[in-house]
Amino acid sequence: MNETGLVFGAEFARRIRSRPYILATVLGALAIALVVEAPALFNRAFSSQAHAIVLAGPAALRVPAQTLFGDDFRVTASVDALPQPVTIDYLDAHGKAGAAVLLSQRGGRLYADVFTRDLSAWDDVDFRALAPLGVQVATGEPVSQTQRYVTVEKSLHSLDAKFADTQSAALGHGVAIGLVTVLYISILISAQAVVASVAEEKTSRIAEVLVATISPVSLLTGKTMAAGALALLQIAVWAGAALAFVPSGFAAFSHSSGAKAVTGASFAGLPQELALFVAFFILGFAQYATIYAAAASLISRTEDLGSVSGPIVMPAVGGFLIAQFAMAAPNAPFVVACSFMPFLSPYVMFTRLALETVPAWQIGLSLAINAVAAVACFWAAGKVYRVGMLLYGKLPSPRQVLAVLRS
Amino acid sequence: MLILDHVRRSFGDVAAVRDVSFAVQPASVFGLLGPNGAGKTTTMRMILGIYPPDGGTITWKGGVIDAHVRRRFGYLPEERGLYARMRVREQVIYFGRLHGLELGDAERRTDDWLDALGIAEYAKRPCSELSKGNQQKVQMACAVVHAPELLILDEPFSGLDPVNAEAMVRAIERLAAQGTALVLSSHQMWQIEQVCGSFCVIAKGEVRAHGTLAELRATFPTRTVHVAPPTAETRAVFDRAGAVERPTSDGSASFVLPATADFGALLRAVVEAGPVTSFEPEEPSLNDIYLRAIGAQTERAA
Repeated sequence: MNETGLVFGAEFARRIRSRPYILATVLGALAIALVVEAPALFNRAFSSQAHAIVLAGPAALRVPAQTLFGDDFRVTASVDALPQPVTIDYLDAHGKAGAAVLLSQRGGRLYADVFTRDLSAWDDVDFRALAPLGVQVATGEPVSQTQRYVTVEKSLHSLDAKFADTQSAALGHGVAIGLVTVLYISILISAQAVVASVAEEKTSRIAEVLVATISPVSLLTGKTMAAGALALLQIAVWAGAALAFVPSGFAAFSHSSGAKAVTGASFAGLPQELALFVAFFILGFAQYATIYAAAASLISRTEDLGSVSGPIVMPAVGGFLIAQFAMAAPNAPFVVACSFMPFLSPYVMFTRLALETVPAWQIGLSLAINAVAAVACFWAAGKVYRVGMLLYGKLPSPRQVLAVLRS
Repeated sequence: MLILDHVRRSFGDVAAVRDVSFAVQPASVFGLLGPNGAGKTTTMRMILGIYPPDGGTITWKGGVIDAHVRRRFGYLPEERGLYARMRVREQVIYFGRLHGLELGDAERRTDDWLDALGIAEYAKRPCSELSKGNQQKVQMACAVVHAPELLILDEPFSGLDPVNAEAMVRAIERLAAQGTALVLSSHQMWQIEQVCGSFCVIAKGEVRAHGTLAELRATFPTRTVHVAPPTAETRAVFDRAGAVERPTSDGSASFVLPATADFGALLRAVVEAGPVTSFEPEEPSLNDIYLRAIGAQTERAA
């Protein structure tokens, strides 16, 4: 086995048994399960109260209103009049309703008086569903006739062949958000793992024995590869958790909340997208991890870690933020430009890929630029690492680091 | 054979090693002595290829030292370091593998060295749980598990209690007996005198003295004389020769003479001055020679 392979094996074995890695992997999977299941659980636990109402008022208003509400509200009781005053005990006695809604007609307009135990939950409720009833009150025409005045028929026509329908587009958006977040977290966590490993070797002085035995580049490569492999393994575990929980969680949420189900939606490009996710992960990780390792090699004490890792975290944060912007405007010139920039493009180009059909040449160019950037990072990091691992004392200035790169 | 020929190395404006030359034979222990900042560690790092020399040559068995050759070397640096959470046996095997051993061979040799160094009982414990002395032994095992042709030991006795230091000495003797060439630096003079066959004293990046202890004694001849009985006449003779008297507890007198003193003329003058029962020049210890080698340079510089 060659030097790089030995370092890879030892680093992989050492890190996979480390408590932080095991905790992050298990807690990540649990967090996915929690995030997916929580809305459905929350919905089940609280929807009965938040969306349950006592509907009051004259039958001429109550009956069509109950029909118009549809699934928006669950009417626990339908009464002509409410007691004075309305109390929480009254709501509890009528199916633990969240509110009592009294409909009335004043000056030719429809009024709704809401007596609720939770003002914040009802502040944004605008009873838009009752608009046809409002028109009926104003004009005297029946709801069956007025309904067409307050709705506009809509028909969507996609110009991007990537998504066949709105449900698939919603799924694509979800995939983009999920994978870009995983990409961001994984790159940062695994690059930080490389930093911790290099810092441990540097501060424990084991580095001197290592560089006297094997080439620093082999050491750096083996270490980076092991951290990358561990990160991919971690992502696979998280993906397994997502696959196990997302369908059931989403179905439960759709059922209990009345949201439109997209579980049947799909888009044909998903396998290709996952392959590109792995490619962008590897290239992005290679850039960040090697630069982080080089920075870590410059410190003598773990307390100095923040001063070198702080500035180089900024591109990752910037890339992630631009990716959020790209979710809303994947075709904006700034976003397109960022999708070719090293350090940023793994996040930005991947977001564009998940949301629209990106021309093949742009994908190829972005991958090529990232590949060249990754090689350049290895080269630069190797030079700094070779010198940095034996450098103790004061943190070198940026000018001294540049001098090393030029040497 | 390891040969350093007029090797030099600078870091920026600081000349760490100005001119160092020496040779180390296989199956021998070579002591590299010098005060802090003399250039010992830099010299060792150049031998190991960590730093390339700015000038001069370093050869092993007549050839240049490349990465392939270096894997047959071993190194115990002054600053100790181990993977804290890695188990002892696992760690030694890993270093054996890095030096080119097959897994089975590395395991067998690891068990052998852990046993020899008296740390077999800690084989499955993480290194962080071991005492400093035992960690040092683990690091020694990491440095020697592959039976290196050349072993560099920088301050191997530093921080060791007498029992552990003795275990280290035994390990060094075992390696030398097996044919390993050892280069060893230490400030523990009595231990280095005990294990080394030849020495090189460097200061300010230059060689001040080198050779076997006998050769060094010839280079720095004895300057201390014990005389009994110490009489006023005897003291007057030594006083005229520029000697400084050292107090003793056995009733004799001990005089430290200048380097230029003529022992023959001095003996004749002492005999003429009165009855003498003992006139005994004292062989200088390695420590005396070391101090004089360093001091001689100070005098020259002054």
